[in-house]
Amino acid sequence: MKFNNVKILFFLLATSSLFITCKDLEEDFSSVFLFNEIKTDGDIKAALAPIYRLTKDIYKNPHATRIMTFGSDDITTWNAGNKAPFRVFDKFEYGDGQNSDLRADWYAVLWNDGYRIIYFSNNLINELKKIEQNPASIIADAEARFFRAYFYFNLVRSFGNLPIILDDTDLSVKPTRATVLENYMHIEADLIAAAAGLPLPSEAGVGRVSSSTAKAVLADLYLTWGGWPVKDNSKYELAAKVSKEVIDLGYHQLLNINELWKKESQNSSEALFSVQYSETENLLNVWPTAFTTHKGRGFSDVFAEIKFFEDFPAGPRKDATFRTDIPQRGVSSDTGKMIDKNPATIPWENSQRKHPLYEKFLKSEVYDFNRPRSYRAIEIIRYAEVLLIYAEAQTRVGQNAAAIEALNQVKRRAAGLAFQSIAPGVDVSSASIDEIIAEKGWELAGEGKRWFDLVRTEKVAEVAMNRSDKEQNKITNIPTSKHFIVPIPLTSLLLGDYVQNPEGFKIK
Amino acid sequence: MINHVRLKRIKSLRFYSLIIFMFFWLSNIKAQTEIVLKGKVTDKTGIVLPSVSIVESGTENGVTTDFNGNFTITISKPPSSLVFRYLGFKSKIIKVTKSETLTVVLNEDVSSLDEIVVVGYGTARKSDLTGALSSVDSKSFEKTPLTSAVQAIQGRASGVQVTQTSGAPGGGFKVRVRGANSFGSGNEPLYVIDGVFVNNIDDINVNDIKSFEILKDASSTAIYGSFGANGVVLISTKSGKKGKAKVEINSFTKISNVTKRLPLMSALQFAEGVNFAEGSEFYDMTTLEALRLNGGEDWHSRIFRSGSTFNTQVSISGGSENTDYLISANFNDEEGSIINQEFKRYSFRTNLNTKLSKNTKIGIRASVNHQELKGSRANVEDGLTWDPTTPAFNEEGIYNIEPLIQGVGNGEDNVLISPENNIRETNQTRLSLNGYLNTKIFNNFTFNASGSIDHRLVDVNRFTPFIINPNGFALVRNDKETRFQQTNRLTYKYADDNDKHDFKVDLIQETFYRKDARTDATATNFVSEQNTYKNFELAEDHIVENSSSDRSINSFIGRINYSFLDRYLVTASYRADGASVLSKENRWSYFPSASIAWKVSNEEFLKDNETINSLKLRIGYGETGTQSISPRGTIEKPVVNRDLFYPFSGDNYTIGIAPTNRLANPNLTWEITKQLNTGIDVGLFNSKATLSLDYYQKNTTGILLDVDLDPVGGTTKQAVNAGEMQNNGFDISLGLSVFENDDWNISSSFNVTTVKSEVISLIDGKDVLRLGNDDYGNFAGQPTEVRVGQSMSSFIGYVFEGVWQNEQEIIDAGFNSATVKPGHARYQDQLTVDTDGDGIFDAGDGVITSDDITTIGSGLPDLTWGMNWDINYKKFNLNLAFTGSQGNDIFNLMRSRMMGLGAKQFHAVHSDYLNRWSPTNPSSIPNDRDTTKQLSSQFIEDGSYTALKNASFGYTLDSEELGNSFLSSLRLYVNAENLFIITNYSGFDPETTATGNSDLDLGIDINTHPLNRSFTFGVKATF
Repeated sequence: MKFNNVKILFFLLATSSLFITCKDLEEDFSSVFLFNEIKTDGDIKAALAPIYRLTKDIYKNPHATRIMTFGSDDITTWNAGNKAPFRVFDKFEYGDGQNSDLRADWYAVLWNDGYRIIYFSNNLINELKKIEQNPASIIADAEARFFRAYFYFNLVRSFGNLPIILDDTDLSVKPTRATVLENYMHIEADLIAAAAGLPLPSEAGVGRVSSSTAKAVLADLYLTWGGWPVKDNSKYELAAKVSKEVIDLGYHQLLNINELWKKESQNSSEALFSVQYSETENLLNVWPTAFTTHKGRGFSDVFAEIKFFEDFPAGPRKDATFRTDIPQRGVSSDTGKMIDKNPATIPWENSQRKHPLYEKFLKSEVYDFNRPRSYRAIEIIRYAEVLLIYAEAQTRVGQNAAAIEALNQVKRRAAGLAFQSIAPGVDVSSASIDEIIAEKGWELAGEGKRWFDLVRTEKVAEVAMNRSDKEQNKITNIPTSKHFIVPIPLTSLLLGDYVQNPEGFKIK
Repeated sequence: MINHVRLKRIKSLRFYSLIIFMFFWLSNIKAQTEIVLKGKVTDKTGIVLPSVSIVESGTENGVTTDFNGNFTITISKPPSSLVFRYLGFKSKIIKVTKSETLTVVLNEDVSSLDEIVVVGYGTARKSDLTGALSSVDSKSFEKTPLTSAVQAIQGRASGVQVTQTSGAPGGGFKVRVRGANSFGSGNEPLYVIDGVFVNNIDDINVNDIKSFEILKDASSTAIYGSFGANGVVLISTKSGKKGKAKVEINSFTKISNVTKRLPLMSALQFAEGVNFAEGSEFYDMTTLEALRLNGGEDWHSRIFRSGSTFNTQVSISGGSENTDYLISANFNDEEGSIINQEFKRYSFRTNLNTKLSKNTKIGIRASVNHQELKGSRANVEDGLTWDPTTPAFNEEGIYNIEPLIQGVGNGEDNVLISPENNIRETNQTRLSLNGYLNTKIFNNFTFNASGSIDHRLVDVNRFTPFIINPNGFALVRNDKETRFQQTNRLTYKYADDNDKHDFKVDLIQETFYRKDARTDATATNFVSEQNTYKNFELAEDHIVENSSSDRSINSFIGRINYSFLDRYLVTASYRADGASVLSKENRWSYFPSASIAWKVSNEEFLKDNETINSLKLRIGYGETGTQSISPRGTIEKPVVNRDLFYPFSGDNYTIGIAPTNRLANPNLTWEITKQLNTGIDVGLFNSKATLSLDYYQKNTTGILLDVDLDPVGGTTKQAVNAGEMQNNGFDISLGLSVFENDDWNISSSFNVTTVKSEVISLIDGKDVLRLGNDDYGNFAGQPTEVRVGQSMSSFIGYVFEGVWQNEQEIIDAGFNSATVKPGHARYQDQLTVDTDGDGIFDAGDGVITSDDITTIGSGLPDLTWGMNWDINYKKFNLNLAFTGSQGNDIFNLMRSRMMGLGAKQFHAVHSDYLNRWSPTNPSSIPNDRDTTKQLSSQFIEDGSYTALKNASFGYTLDSEELGNSFLSSLRLYVNAENLFIITNYSGFDPETTATGNSDLDLGIDINTHPLNRSFTFGVKATF
């Protein structure tokens, strides 16, 4: 061995720490938030926030949320442009399993995000079982049950019987579709528990659900249960009972019809549940864009159907519901903001899309952007709906004065009058089921409710045949019960073990 | 003691040299017949060659050239001959009879069989390789003005497919070695610069590169273990050569324009088309007449412009007895051919090597690169389909933000607004430092230690001004990536005395660590846009988010090379990788390989064959993985992000924390690619013709799929090892020295790569998954799927059968004539009904629905090829580089949009629309928008092409022609890029794609940055 080598070997030994550098193979998790268990009220609120947020997101784009309800007679869409997916439903081009592959970001929003809310809720319910019960945890459990039930209800009404997933998310055993009845039963159980656990509306925070909200949805469930497809008449009595409890609470009011859709009127006592937007956080309500034509800087997604508009009884409510002077707007090259053109409006008959627009969603629009936007909270359930559910359900089991009073309260307000004062000339002394459902249609026009009333009462074909000749979207198929539910979205069909509608549709 | 010994040695040296000198001096006096030869040795380009050995043939009389290439030699007994030898050059023999001054030009050795190539963790003689390797030397691309390193290997290496996916400045190349292995993870090869693993080589100065070696088969890449499955591109940077400082300056300037315009209707034709499509007078007679007169807006000219590039390179290199150096700097400035992008890159490098002693060498390589991409580029898709009847600006010179007639064209705003107003900047600075120490410890042992730090900082600054967002929006993002790599290698070499056995063993230990951190700050509701993103104080609302992650890998590697009689060669390697991203139970994975080669030409029966001078057969097998799992990929963690925050009372957000959106998979491990390779290398006629042919088969198993979970479970994704796919194909490369004499030197090389890929299985017995991009903006539906039995990117859609010509045709085909009308598109009704109950579909259902969607093409080429010609006549040089592709389809979604189809498009702009069906024009172009599908074979086109990628022509002036100038050579050259592209494809060009690096969506054409046709003029001077 030469001396030089010894020297180098020595050098290497001395500096060996430089060369031997094996790393510890543990990952650094110090920047990862690990949420081990729910401890404080703050934790509970943090776990609830995503549930509410996703609910808001589902209602964010009206065209996506209500794509499966375009067959209803209160809404239609542009007959050209990019609205083909909506027209599939407006024209009844589904029903045999086709069109499950419509663009998922429009068609599968309710399916995907609805089930995500159910997952979040399941998770929260499970986490809460691990801690000692306290007032906040009881409310949170009820809130989670409410949302789980509410989205199962919306999903089952839209897609038919669903796979029921109520606890963990292990899908190694692939779920299959339960029956509609089984779905109703677990929805009912959750809503009963939610109604018991949730605070009164007077005590629930702004934007939070209350026992009234749970009862309103429960009443709606019973009403639906009585109609197509399960047709269990015994549920009408329960619908009447539960909705009456909300009325008897005396908390909820009907606002003046001219005030109702203003920004200031958001989160009023008429709202049983609204999704929130925020100017502070720059969280925008984009419904005004969806409900406006392109010439008004909108996207021409949803308009009022002409026959429905024509049949709508004249009065303050009609004026508050529809916009017939269609805005003509552009964008300022200086500020980038939306501006009115001259003339600022033209009558709907001559307008670009030749349809009236839904004023109720445009009333709060602002010109701060290059498209019409708003910050107003959007009502998902209004007191007027509870009154009309009660009126119908009670009429079905035996009409009484309270049922007529509930109907009359809605009619008085529609006429611009105080809802609780008797109004001769407006009030009726009796009403048929059809009249009550028609009234519900006018009152809740464009709010995504009408379709489900038509389905449960099997009136879809009747109103579809009645479509105005002026409508450019003609029906392709005469709707039958095949069209009462829509196809299960393609993603789940590919990944799960489901039989597509109509074959997979099982009622009991 | 040391000093004493050295002194003694020096003294004795001096003594002996004195004796020798005196002997020569004496002999000089005596021999009157002797001659003296003086002269200079240069290479072809006139660059002087120092240290060339010159020996009088058959004697021990010899000298070497000095730093200036000069020599003087005395021949005692003429006539005789002189042999000139220089490493890397062909030896030359010159007969000498009298004293004279010679200028000797040595030619570079093209036979290259004994050239040394870089392999994984070491070097090897090319003739000793047992695996598949493509080598690209800087000589083959240095005559072409390049701005990107990847361009250098395009079309020059068999088995390596390089596609330019975008013509944007600073952008967009995709490299695949023997096709894509995986439909689950990335298929980018590993890049290794001087032993250091890097993510990409976009920011490397191509002029610093000495050679690329691309390891293709698993017997060569298995030594890179879990990094090696996609092939390894080894890059060696240049070093200085012994001799006086050599200064090179190379500067060029380039003008670029997109190669083609698309056929658009005139404004008048467009307006008439709108009236037709809407069935009403959107444009009245007066407006139409005005359009007839003024012609409308030319959006091509608004969006495209002449791009330019300016590039300057300076390098200084040289060396003394023990130390060599190279210092280089490069500046590259590009302006894109679409408004409004600009790209600048500054590169600096220093490479230093020095011998500490006879046995010990150390070196350092340092590089700093800085690049800036400024501006955003106009959306070509939205722009060309917008509205030719609306001028970009009104009479006052202000933007027409929306079409004058609202609701025509598409729903976008004027596309000039964004590139002309948005502020977009991306700056990247990268510092890379690596050093090594190499020492011979004992006779047969060598120890090599190297370490590197690679630090990358990226900052993204954006501002959206009021004209686009009335509130203003700013983003400032900082990304920081730091990598450490440390490699220790101990090599044992043994060769027995009679050259029978040759034995080499490497033991390697390596550590790799990477840390990433990001900070994002956004602001909106600006009170003033004066300071853009630079002053967040002017904004009311701010959001700051940050994240960080790390990963580390420890590796142990062993390799044996054994050669018997220089005929039979065996290589075997084994690597163990432990990775932090894998769960504890599953942390270590192992990658073996083995290969053998037989040098047939060294056998007795071929040894002296005149035709076949080399012949080698190779076979090898190996297993490799990819670094496809991201940090924390195996765990579940809660999701905290602003998309889950909620303003409960319509005011401030409450922070939202949601349960995991992924399902954990602790069993997750690397995808494993097993590859078998067989190859043959042949050299004919003294290596004037060389051929390498390889056949390979790769099977990738456990393909990492981020599978979509059934949405009913609430979690959306889970990473699993599922799926298998197979690739096989040939790599062929052919080199020809076509012609060579004193004036001419013509050589050519040709390479072909074929990849046949097939999906063997997916997950849970499924035959189809949709893994590709499902959002092309204007597009309702996903154009690709991964289907068992097909290549991984198959196009799906309806089979277009033209247009229904009359009602009878519709009725005869069993369609409903109430809804299907003449003029509507006709699609094939797939067999989806079983009429006779035998379980086989035998009839269509009479309606076109999603069940009629079927496979309609594939973006994967059957073969790609490259051909290079290097033609030298005296001092002229012509270099041609062709590339081509055969058998791939392109989904021309751009055309479908231009035909007025899709979610965002309302009206047609393409001139094909003029030929739409009418009762009097029975064409095959549908006249109805709503019944025409975008997802249809109507928009599938053949993407085969042949392109002249580069043609460069240059003239070199040597020092003599330059007179007494201080220049030693000067080269003037012109170059044309994409001079022609021969293709039937109707879009901009067949090479660029919407999906960049994706292998799941090959050949999707929408809103690409088309390729440029560029012309360059340049000068290269050597001092």
